[in-house]
Amino acid sequence: MTTMSRAWGRLTLPGKIVFTLVPLLAVLTIGLVVLLVLVGPLALQFLSDNLPLVRFVVAATAVLLMTVPTAFLIIYMEMKVIALMNLRLGPDRVGPYGSLLSVVHGLKVLMKEDFTPTGADPLVFTLAPVVVYMASVMSLVVIPFAPGLFGQDFNVALLYFFAMGGLSVVGLLMAGWASFNKYSLLGGLRSAAQIVSYEIPLTLSVVGLMLLYGTMSINQIVLGQSGSVLDWNIFKQPLGALIFFIAAAAEANRTPFDLTEADSEIVAGFATEYSGMRFGFFFFAEYVNVFIVSALTVSLFFGGWTAPFQWPFPVPVALDPGSLGIWLLILVLVVPVVGTLLFATPFWLARSSTPGWQALALGFVVFNLVAIAAVLGLLFISFDWVVGLVWFMLKTYVFVFTFVWMRGTLPRVRIDQLMGFAWKWLLPAALLNLFVTAAAIVVLGSR
Amino acid sequence: MDRALRRRLESRFGQRLIGPVRQRHDETEIRIAPGVVPEVLTALHDEPELGFEFLADLAGVDTGLVMQVAYHLWSATTPDWLRVVADGLSREDPRVPSVTFLWPGAEWMEREAYDMFGITFEGNRDLRRIYMPPDYTSFPLRKDFYLPDDAARSPGGGVRHVERTHAPRNAEADQLVRRTKAG
Amino acid sequence: MTTTRDPDTEPVVADRPPGGQPYRVEAHESADDPRVTLEQDVGVFEPVPPFPPRTEREAEFYTLADGEMLINMGPQHPSTHGVLRIVLKLNGEQVVDLDPVLGYLHRGVEKLSENADYHQTISQLDPLEYVSALFCEWPAVMAYEKLLDVQVPRRAEYIRVLSTELLRVASHALFMGWMALDLGGLTPILYSFIERDEIVEMLGALTGARMLFNYMRIGGVNGDLNHDFMSRLGDWMSRAAAQHDANTQLLNENEIFVRRMRGLGTIDRETALRMCWTGPNLRATGVPFDLRRAHPYSVFPELDFDIPTRSEGDCLARYLLRVDEVKQSLRIIDQCLHQMPDGPIMAKMPRLLRPRPGRAYAAIESPRGEYGAYAISDGTDQPFRLRIHDPSFIHLESVGLLMPGHLVADTMAVMASLDPIMGGVDK
Repeated sequence: MTTMSRAWGRLTLPGKIVFTLVPLLAVLTIGLVVLLVLVGPLALQFLSDNLPLVRFVVAATAVLLMTVPTAFLIIYMEMKVIALMNLRLGPDRVGPYGSLLSVVHGLKVLMKEDFTPTGADPLVFTLAPVVVYMASVMSLVVIPFAPGLFGQDFNVALLYFFAMGGLSVVGLLMAGWASFNKYSLLGGLRSAAQIVSYEIPLTLSVVGLMLLYGTMSINQIVLGQSGSVLDWNIFKQPLGALIFFIAAAAEANRTPFDLTEADSEIVAGFATEYSGMRFGFFFFAEYVNVFIVSALTVSLFFGGWTAPFQWPFPVPVALDPGSLGIWLLILVLVVPVVGTLLFATPFWLARSSTPGWQALALGFVVFNLVAIAAVLGLLFISFDWVVGLVWFMLKTYVFVFTFVWMRGTLPRVRIDQLMGFAWKWLLPAALLNLFVTAAAIVVLGSR
Repeated sequence: MDRALRRRLESRFGQRLIGPVRQRHDETEIRIAPGVVPEVLTALHDEPELGFEFLADLAGVDTGLVMQVAYHLWSATTPDWLRVVADGLSREDPRVPSVTFLWPGAEWMEREAYDMFGITFEGNRDLRRIYMPPDYTSFPLRKDFYLPDDAARSPGGGVRHVERTHAPRNAEADQLVRRTKAG
Repeated sequence: MTTTRDPDTEPVVADRPPGGQPYRVEAHESADDPRVTLEQDVGVFEPVPPFPPRTEREAEFYTLADGEMLINMGPQHPSTHGVLRIVLKLNGEQVVDLDPVLGYLHRGVEKLSENADYHQTISQLDPLEYVSALFCEWPAVMAYEKLLDVQVPRRAEYIRVLSTELLRVASHALFMGWMALDLGGLTPILYSFIERDEIVEMLGALTGARMLFNYMRIGGVNGDLNHDFMSRLGDWMSRAAAQHDANTQLLNENEIFVRRMRGLGTIDRETALRMCWTGPNLRATGVPFDLRRAHPYSVFPELDFDIPTRSEGDCLARYLLRVDEVKQSLRIIDQCLHQMPDGPIMAKMPRLLRPRPGRAYAAIESPRGEYGAYAISDGTDQPFRLRIHDPSFIHLESVGLLMPGHLVADTMAVMASLDPIMGGVDK
């Protein structure tokens, strides 16, 4: 015993951690194997019987994992784009062109102290960011990223989306109330008033689409827009698209409707008392929301993942790598060598002072870039979902950029102007849009 | 120097002026007793041949003998600044009627004069300290103001509190003063 | 916190936070200050002073009607233009009343000046209006010159006018940026800073400092125009007007900005005069009062420029008026450059200044209004009394008059439109 404890005492801290973890992992692995052997067939049976459930869990996990990089990307984009609009440099230290700064921000937020102010309601205070973040992640589930690449294809997907949007209000209100701070309370109440008001024109603006398509499934709406640019809903429902975009900006608390966290008025609104990762959740949720409303605008009005034009000349890709047989192996062996040499030659020839190894290294890099481009091109041509995903992301980030652009350009509206705009302008306009659409359907007698 | 203004002031306020009307560069100075301040300033403001509608400044002054309040006025009728000095306020209890009935904007300037000199403006409805903390006990711009004395006398928190806790427990009062002076 | 209280009978009693200690004020005896009372508990989260109201107005302000609450804006708040604390009395989002609490930046400049000699006071005055420091030096220097009966050389006067008008452009440029920032626009402040930076670098070449210049001297200025300054100035003048137009276009044609500013914080000319307003804020109500014309000083009678006025008296008018003023300043700078005489930049002055006993008042038109200095000499080499009249102080007082009925968000807009600098307010 003494031997053991002396040996343990000599270990460094990492050593202690490793020597604790390794047996633990071993035990867990063995246990898992035993468990699989015992109940494996039963579990498999259960899973195959409940495929929708499996699909949902997998989709939710994938979407959850997707949110963080998305938020990082949009935060970096916002920092850099607004900096350029402001004639500043923006982030330029961490990573190439500062691109890792938002990752560092994320780490910083994780490491910061996470305190609860005196007088706050600890339970509600802790739950609020979870609710807000969950609401955004859950609404991401129904967005079709590409043909066949979506979490769930509900028949009531739009309704579900608006319900989830409404859920985030609860989180913001919880945060505002539980913080025991009047600024937080003002921010929470502002957000409740704002989001509840803008839910109505937001929902009404897509009722026209529901009439046109006879479904609330976003996937079906996207499929209905396939073809060319002219089939997009923006040309069928221009007013609806405009209302949707404005109301969605308000829904996502973006400038000029960012009253809930107006820093020059109420400090940081509902997030005033939050720090550390709890604040991080609010922060990420905001940017995930930007992504979501952009994605939904694209899906509903700009053709979703459908290409804006048909590929002008069809590419018959009948190349099945499996059919090459042994030649495939030879190809894999020969092509890199030949390619590298081929690309290295110009570098070697261009300047006599370039050493051979440098030319080879450059050739290797260039070859790899070309190979990656070729493989991506092949994927792009061969698989529908790659094409769809590329088009979807391109369109979505155009709208994300628009949100960032608005933030760099516009001042903030006042709360009475905000509410007046929703009730006096957006709501009648949405009703008009609905009326015109319905009348057109009745008159034309078809969809 | 506007001689015409001098004649106008002398003929209008004759008896109320203490001493002669003084003029130098682009300034005309009259001195009045504190009691007639509202009357004189109202006349200066309202009567069209005087028409001093801008209160440019309101300043408390401690001459070491008496307290004064100096009002600087501007009018379109003259190229001079008019300085009205309410002279002869007692240093023990300086009191002067407020001019906030005429210029509500003088409220803070009077608060400042109160804060710095302890001059009470009768009729100012918000006469409290404006720069110094509310529990401050002395008036910094008076000529008899002495900082270490004041620091030892003033209660309250902050630095003075720290000084008090670090003082020796059974120190004499004058030792305390010297200590704060050194720190 | 109890929502209503009778200030005479009920002490201030607030809910204690769970686990928090009540704030206790000790009693003390003092002859000249209102007594601080014994043994009372005040919640640490309420902005209620821990003593009974000292004045009628304070009692009225800290008595809450049904549905009202007090909220503390500042001293640590993102947009109070320095360290200002405003206690807001709110009914929902609507501001019922407000009480600015000053003194967080108080340095006691007037006291410091009484213990410094005449030259030293100039550098004490610089940090008052830290965005336009030359305007703080000038009135005091003018007052001293009157005390000493000094005639300032014409070239020095021209240099003073040139440098201060440049600084006026910089100050107004910064004002526009701040205005937009307080309304939530991120970009204009950076455009403003570019313009301001160019001017400040230019003045740095002339005076040796970028912010606190210490450039005016009794009887002249510290240094003559040099090549660096003139080349920068010429470069800047060639594009200043276009640059200014481009910067203001971003806001002037912005629908959200204009809609928020129009009709906000309106004041009529009679009230503005009674509130002792001066400068652009007064001119925005329609009174063409500009000390450069109303009480001409320096060489302004020789220069040709207009006094823009506007009649609306709201925040938008105050903003647009400053936009117009920049153009007039550019005109003045242009004329200064063309009419700049040769000659000395300092009058012949003795080393040690002992003006004969007397009093002098001098005021100039700063970017915020009348900046005055009242100096009393007792025949020694230190001013017996130096009183600084700061326009920011006067204008800030009126926020309480302009705000009631507007929303929380407008507090910052109204304050920004009055353009107070807290260094000057707190002295």
